[in-house]
Amino acid sequence: MEDLPTHSPLVHFNEIRPRVVDEVVRRTLSEVPPEKVESELTAALYLERLRLQRERPSLFTFRRLNRDRKLWREIQSDLLKPSALADRQGMFKNVAARYAEEIAGHFDSKIYRYATKILPYGFNWLLNAASVKSILPWGMTEDVRNRLKVEGEIAHLRKLTQIGTVLLVPTHQSNIDSILIGYVIYLMGLPPFAYGAGLNLFSNPLLSFLMSNLGAYTVDRQKGNRIYKALLKNYSVKILREGIHSIFFPAGGRVRNGAIESKLKLGLLGTALEAQIENLRAGKTSPKVFIVPMTTSYHFVLEASTLIDDHLAEAGKHRFIITDDESSKFSKVVHFFWKLFKSQSGMTVRVGKPLDIFGNFVNEEGNSIGPNGTMIAPEKWLSSYGELKTSPSRDNEYTRMLGARIVERYHAENTVLTSHLVAFTFFESLRNRYPDYDLYRLLRMSLAQRTLPMDEFLKEAEGMHRRILEAADQQLFHITPELRTVDVKSWVKDGIRNLGLFHGNAVLKREGNVLYSEDMNLLYYYRNRLAGYGLSRLADPKRRVPGAQDEKGFLI
Amino acid sequence: MRKEFWSKSSVAVIGGGSWGTVLAKLAAQNCEQVRLWVRDEDQARAMNSTRSNPTYVKEMTIPENVRTFTDIERVFDQGVQAIIWALPASACRETARRFAPLFHGDEMVLHATKGVEEGSMKRISVILAEELPLARIGVLSGPNLATEIARDEPAATVVASDFLEVVEAGMSLFNTPRFRVYAGDDVIGVEWAGTLKNIYAIAAGALDALEFGWNARALLLTRGLAEMVRFGVAMGAKESTFLGLGGAGDLFATCSSPLSRNYRVGQRLARGEALDPILSELGAVAEGVRTAQIISAFAVERKIPMPITQGVFELIRGTTPVNDVLRMLMQRPVGYDASAELGEFASRRRT
Repeated sequence: MEDLPTHSPLVHFNEIRPRVVDEVVRRTLSEVPPEKVESELTAALYLERLRLQRERPSLFTFRRLNRDRKLWREIQSDLLKPSALADRQGMFKNVAARYAEEIAGHFDSKIYRYATKILPYGFNWLLNAASVKSILPWGMTEDVRNRLKVEGEIAHLRKLTQIGTVLLVPTHQSNIDSILIGYVIYLMGLPPFAYGAGLNLFSNPLLSFLMSNLGAYTVDRQKGNRIYKALLKNYSVKILREGIHSIFFPAGGRVRNGAIESKLKLGLLGTALEAQIENLRAGKTSPKVFIVPMTTSYHFVLEASTLIDDHLAEAGKHRFIITDDESSKFSKVVHFFWKLFKSQSGMTVRVGKPLDIFGNFVNEEGNSIGPNGTMIAPEKWLSSYGELKTSPSRDNEYTRMLGARIVERYHAENTVLTSHLVAFTFFESLRNRYPDYDLYRLLRMSLAQRTLPMDEFLKEAEGMHRRILEAADQQLFHITPELRTVDVKSWVKDGIRNLGLFHGNAVLKREGNVLYSEDMNLLYYYRNRLAGYGLSRLADPKRRVPGAQDEKGFLI
Repeated sequence: MRKEFWSKSSVAVIGGGSWGTVLAKLAAQNCEQVRLWVRDEDQARAMNSTRSNPTYVKEMTIPENVRTFTDIERVFDQGVQAIIWALPASACRETARRFAPLFHGDEMVLHATKGVEEGSMKRISVILAEELPLARIGVLSGPNLATEIARDEPAATVVASDFLEVVEAGMSLFNTPRFRVYAGDDVIGVEWAGTLKNIYAIAAGALDALEFGWNARALLLTRGLAEMVRFGVAMGAKESTFLGLGGAGDLFATCSSPLSRNYRVGQRLARGEALDPILSELGAVAEGVRTAQIISAFAVERKIPMPITQGVFELIRGTTPVNDVLRMLMQRPVGYDASAELGEFASRRRT
């Protein structure tokens, strides 16, 4: 454990932190033309006052909120004074400095060492305590690593962290993701990564202490003003430029409907391209930024109920940030892991094929591969009118290309688990029985309607299994080894047992010769993991576009 | 500054047909030099020595700063900033694959090809993106009968790309006192419009052979445009693109010129001649024939209503005489006109 990889600048982050903060502030200020400073401040003041009215202080946040209130009161009264008496640039700088201090994380290598030591112990303790009743003989411990399958381009990723800066872009289903991915990075022997975490997670002092010392920086999505957004973007560019590997969840938040992300937020994603251009212009020896997609596959998602209800209520727009779901309660999180280890079920994390900033594949040496194996010169793609420089319209288009490619890779790198297939098959069987029902009617079916005879289900499952195997051969996605069997009953059993294990209601329950769903919303949530592939018999496979819905409101 | 950049640039034109040669002449007025690639050794020699292209555009003088090559490496050897791609659709992928190693990645590629790849139905810009190691690709299309532009008659075109820089390149390179370049961002729409209009040129030729007047032609063009919109929107294009130069503009020009090959095919089919002898006599590809075959099958499969295309397809197959095709088209149930399509009219009346 002593050999903490030292080639990551994150390890020495505390030394460079003041400089980073200062540069981010200065850069943000320089991007605003002097005559616009006042109007930017006014707009921010308006939004911040709304936010401060909205936010409820808690024991841990009231101090921060009070500080914010004081700052914005001052800004308000200063804005009323003539600019000769209250320097607008100075005010802007104050605001920016406050934000930058809030955003910037710390990194404490001591804490990192302890945490990575303690975390697996914690996991293992839970694992063994939970397994007491299981068949494991005394003295034999099951390693957490057996439960957690990490697959894909691990060696490739490791190599790229040594020749450039890596931006890891995972799919996002649960708040567990951050903890899990942080641990997976450690398991792979990689240096620590910086990542943005929602400010609401920092309100728990223990989590806050740990996270902020493990490379997390804060992202507060309640702050919608442009000054904050610019700072966040510049901070992200800056740490990438410092060579600090980072993690973004490019969809912005957890996916609500359970499907694989089809729409990404391109703003932050574009920082990779910006960082690489600046690196090239500065003549840095390892200027490249590599984008590595990552997918996580769970049999159950802790917050599934809240997420799918939010999606179905179409309240997503108003309640974009859920602060009070299952994952915010420490006991629930512990309970989750307890269940996880007790259930003997696993999760799969897959490292996708690394991409360059345009979405082209890169090889082991970090070179971009073009059509038919030709090499691509990124600095040429970044030159316009004979000069290597940023160009907003061009770079937006490149980032759009990258986003489209990440969505495509998410689908291809997804690992289908037995539970996903069981949920999908059951849901589609119901749809076939009631083809006229739209989504909402289907979700409100009576218990009798959402019950299927077991043999009918098994027949459907057999057909669906065949299609899944074909699709896996065509590399539309990966499948878990449990699905590589001719014995339909065995994977169906595994799937039913694992599907949404955590929830109070069984997503699917077998009783005698029938199978029924106790919670149709959850069934829909887990079923959606296989949407976007055109596997549904009712979907026109030629029209499938990730995220598209058919005329009855089902994800295709 | 952009204009200035392009005025000092080298531009490659791939393809020395009539349109490629005319585009080379236009670009030569706005850049340092044009390097034109043609396949045929004799043609290249003739063009360099006589400053004309006797095979395709006889009467036009080729400017001094256009140099013609058959060796592609010489076209690229001093670096070019833009490539104008003017090859037939059928040669696109194979040629692109062969030339790909010569590209650096900072070039802008504008193609002026009308048509799609057979079999895959992929658009030209998609094929180029799949084969060339660069991303900045656009399309140039419009009512551009090459012979008229060779004579310096007034004309205009549209350049569309996802990249603003490519559009700017097209505008800087091809704008001349007699030729206007408009900007567009709907690559899908411009490419499909340029492909589909050839079908209606065949129909226009057939109407001509039947000696109908202007009403019939207007009917064809208007309802043809409606079909193009339906198809284009189904493929992801914007409806408004079809009102522009690449849509309606190109359709009007193509269907009005008795010189176009598609038009002549239609004329002779309507007189009862069989397809094969017509094609072998014309000695050149009439793109509309292939397009009608591909699109009619695809439209049936996707349930896109395209009756005129189906009619042209019947005519090409030679199983139905032209009068029967016409009767079939004229006796279809009458629906809504363009503004009230999709039953919008009915619902508006009800409220």
